[in-house]
Order: sequence, then structure tokens, then C-alpha cells
Amino acid sequence: MKRTRLFQITVLLLVVVAAVQVGYWLYDQHVRGVEKTAALTRLYDQQAAAARALLDGGAPLQRVQETFPDLAVNAQKVELAPEHRAALLAEQQHRLTQYQWEGGFFLFALCACIGVIFAALRAETRVLNEQEQFLALVSHQFKTPLASLQLSVETMNLRQLPPERSRALLERMLSDLTRMETMVGQILDSSRLSHGRWDLKREPVLLDATVNRVVSQYLERAQTDHIAIESQVPADLRVLADPIAVDVVVRNILENALAAVAPVGGGTVTLAARAQGEEVELAVRDSGIGFRPDDQPQLFRKFSRLNAGAGSSYYGTGLGLYIVQRLMQLTGGRVSASSEGLGRGAEFRLTWPMAGTQAESHA
Amino acid sequence: MSEPVYQVLVVEDDPHLAAGVVENLRAEGFRVDTVSDGRRAVEWFDTHHCDLIVLDVMLPGLDGFAVCRTLRERGTKTPVLFLTALGEATDRIRGLEAGGDDYLAKPFHLQEFLLRVRAILRRWEWYRASARTAGSDVLKFAGNEVDFRAFRGRSWNGEEQELTEKEAMILKVLAEKPGEIVSREDLLEKVWGYDVFPSTRTVDNFILKLRKRFERDPANPVHFLTVWGVGYRFIPEPAP
Repeated sequence: MKRTRLFQITVLLLVVVAAVQVGYWLYDQHVRGVEKTAALTRLYDQQAAAARALLDGGAPLQRVQETFPDLAVNAQKVELAPEHRAALLAEQQHRLTQYQWEGGFFLFALCACIGVIFAALRAETRVLNEQEQFLALVSHQFKTPLASLQLSVETMNLRQLPPERSRALLERMLSDLTRMETMVGQILDSSRLSHGRWDLKREPVLLDATVNRVVSQYLERAQTDHIAIESQVPADLRVLADPIAVDVVVRNILENALAAVAPVGGGTVTLAARAQGEEVELAVRDSGIGFRPDDQPQLFRKFSRLNAGAGSSYYGTGLGLYIVQRLMQLTGGRVSASSEGLGRGAEFRLTWPMAGTQAESHA
Repeated sequence: MSEPVYQVLVVEDDPHLAAGVVENLRAEGFRVDTVSDGRRAVEWFDTHHCDLIVLDVMLPGLDGFAVCRTLRERGTKTPVLFLTALGEATDRIRGLEAGGDDYLAKPFHLQEFLLRVRAILRRWEWYRASARTAGSDVLKFAGNEVDFRAFRGRSWNGEEQELTEKEAMILKVLAEKPGEIVSREDLLEKVWGYDVFPSTRTVDNFILKLRKRFERDPANPVHFLTVWGVGYRFIPEPAP
């Protein structure tokens, strides 16, 4: 990586030097052209002076004209013939124009090269910084559940705990492990999305089958956290999207809703779908901690974790909603969120294009 | 005489980790309160006080460094133990510069955490006890005056000095052994405790600050003398 960068910087410097040289050459040619014309003009002035001296000395007009064919000689004055003057100026103008166009083109091409190389270097620096930031954030996100896990293990090791306390600690440890497992999945999904390595299909997907499957996987956890999940998805609704993407999106939205409800001691999460013209909308409503309307723009940013103070960081990595938004964008859908404020729950609306009534559908 | 019951405030946004820390501190006999975001931590001090703050760095609202700085600016001297996933040397220095007393990177060992908590409280107990002792709560030397209980002083030119807790503690350690050499390691052990700092150079920086406050010519000190390669010697009244 370092060698490539060094090479790019060397090329950039060479091109900058070349551009400076072309610029100098242009300037030099301009100066030389003007100087050459001036020198010729001086030469003709000298000839005119010599012709005038001959005429003053009594030399015949015709002979002087033959001696200095470039001059217009008559009894009143001796000067450079107008056609020669015009040719001289035309020659100078032609050369200057040629240098301006040719040199200008080279200069433009070189400046374009400098721009391209500079932009590439900047983009690479940005990617490197983002990668570093990503790694730092990922390691930070892992260290917290890891610390909690280690603390639980060492507490059990250090202290004689009654069975119910031990059971509570074991449940906490399992929850931390689930949290880390979720993080691994989300980080991989996010990385695939960031690098465009997700080969997304567009095909009819039966929404109720996906929702029911995902909900069934979270029922146990919801029960532990005293959360009731209600699903109202008509059986025949099909969306046009990638089946895996729909699964990931519903999973992340449900994960987010559960994380929002758990800190308030339990509540409800409702998933309701309906057809709306040419689209299908799935609304996921929770009775959890909600968010400030001002915080809405930050919800879908990578590593954004709102209201963590109220406990939403319980399972949160700050990647779930980012993944949801990216996947919805890439599959032609959209997502929006609303809340009436802290402590008043939230609603996330996922909208996909409706699939036609194809015989084949995927769940 | 029974051991005092210390009050600890745990500022941590992760509910599992907060619960684990709180349970263990309570099991060790501490009274513990917990707050989960930076702003609430600062507000908590409007109506409460405690003997130690266990403070996470990446907090919602206001990060841990800012919380510590805000509390110090408000004059809160309560010792702070940073507990955070940011474990780089630069982060540790930032934490200590913000006014922290110790720094423990996540994930950490429970027993090490408890030892550090006790070590911080022991150091503070030593400082407070020695500052309470009649005759040792105020230090007077060469026109300078330092009140260890109020963390305030007045320098030889009449200028009021507001000392940080670390400056006061260093001065206290030196003043307890006037004329004797105190090694940098001794100062570290007594004021910060074992391996908090990446180098003993940090002690040197605090000595420079003390010289600026109390020496007539900080470039040619006569009270806070460097003993090269060893440490420092405090001379309250140098011979003319």
C-alpha cells in the first residue's frame, strides 16, 4: 500500500513538474516571438536609414529600391513595405496562436492528470481513514459486551452466589454473547454493503412468510424481556425485492424495536403490512423509549446510537438501521421513522414496490 | 474503629456492564449510585456528592472527558477512575489531563478494578487525613502559603493560586519530607498509583507547574530542586 502511494505521489510530482515546464515554455515562446519581431523591425529600420542615406547622397531611386526590395522607397519617405509589415505581423500572430493552442492543450491535459491523481490520492486517504475509524469503532463496540462478559465470569469465580444470582448472571452472559453474535452479523452485512459486494436480486417475495419466520426467532427473547410481538401481515402480499435483503431488513428493524422496548421493562411491538397503490408498506410500531424528533436525521447514520442513556445500547451496535436504509435504497424501497418523543415509542415504515401476481414467489 | 462506607457514582451507559460494576462494588461494601449519560452525571453533583466516580468515556450526551473537565472546572475534587474501551496511551493521557486519577481499559479484571478503586480511595484518605491534622493543613514557605484542604494558595507576590488536586497531593508528599529526596516513582505511587502513566515525565510536568506558581525564578528554582536521575527535593527555606 505504501509503495503504491509513493508511486502515485512520485507520478503526481512528475506531472506537476511537466506542467510547470510547459507553462514556462509557453511564456518563453511568447517572449521569443515578440523579441524576434522586434529584432526584424529594428533590422528594417536600419535598412530604411541606410536607404535614406543613399537617397540623400544622390543615389537613383530605382537603384535604392532594388538594393532594399523589402522597403517601400519614394522621394518623400522610406519605410517597410506594407505587405512585408503585414506578413511579419501575421507570422508573429500565427506562431503565438500555435503556441497558445498547442501549449494550452498540453497544459490542460497535464492539469487534468494532476486533478485525477490528486482526487485519487484524496479518495484513498479518505477510505483509509474510514477503515481506521471503522476498526476503532468496531473494536470499541466489541469491548463493552466483552467487558460485561468477563465481569460476569469473574464475579461468579470470585463470589459465592446464591443459585438465582448465578442464573441471572448466566442469562446476562448469554445475552452478551447474543449481542456479540448480532454485532458480527451486522458488521459483515455493513462491510458487504459498503464495498458493494451484495449481489441483490429483484424478485417477488412473500412478506408474511418472511415476517413470521423472523418473528418466531425472536419470540423467546421477547418473552424474557416481557415484550408482546403482534404480526398483522396479509397472506398474499408480495414485494419486489431481494429475499435475503428483506429478511435482513425485517430482522434489523425487529431487533431495533426490541432493544427500544426492553429498557422500559416491556411493552409491545406490532408489525402491520398493507398494500398502498403500487407499493407495500410494513409499519413496525413499538412502545419503547422513542426518540427526539430532532434526532431523526441521525437514526440511519452508521454507528449512530441514540438515547443510549435510556438503555438502547443494550443490543445496539449503531449499524442495524444503517444496514436497513442501505438495503432498502439498493432494492428500490425506502424507510422512514417517526416518534412523538422520548418515552413515547416509535414507528418505522418500510416500503417496497409491490410484485405482480407471478406464480413463483420466494419467502 | 469501623472502616468508612464510601459512596461511589458509576457513570456507564451499558446496562449490563453498569449492573456488573454496581453489584461488585456493593458486595465490597460501597454505597453505589449509577447514572447512564454524561449530562445527568454532571447534574447529579448539583444535589449529591461521592468519594469516587467510575466514569465511562464514550457516553451519550457528554463524553467522559468532558464530564471530568466540567466537574473539575466547577471545583469538584472527587477522584475519577476512567473505565473505557479506549485504551491507547494517548487516550489515557487525555483522561488524566482532563483531571482523571486512574484509567482502566475494557475489558478489565474484576480484582484489578477493585484494587484500583481501593488504591484511589486510600490515597485520598491519606491526603484528607494528613490535611486534617492540625498544623499540616496549611504549608507556609518563603512567603508562599498553601491550604491543602481548600486546594488554594497564595504565592510570594500575593497572587492567588487555585491548585489542582494532583498539584496539591504532590506538594503534600514533598512537604512531608522537607529536604529529603523523593523519587519520581514514590511520587507516582503516592499520588497516582502504579502503572497509570506511560512515563515518569508526567511528574516532571507537574513539578514545572508548581515552580511557576511558587518560585520567584522558575528557571532557577530554590524550593523544588531536581535531583538528576532520582527525583526531587523540597527546600522550604533555602539557606541565603
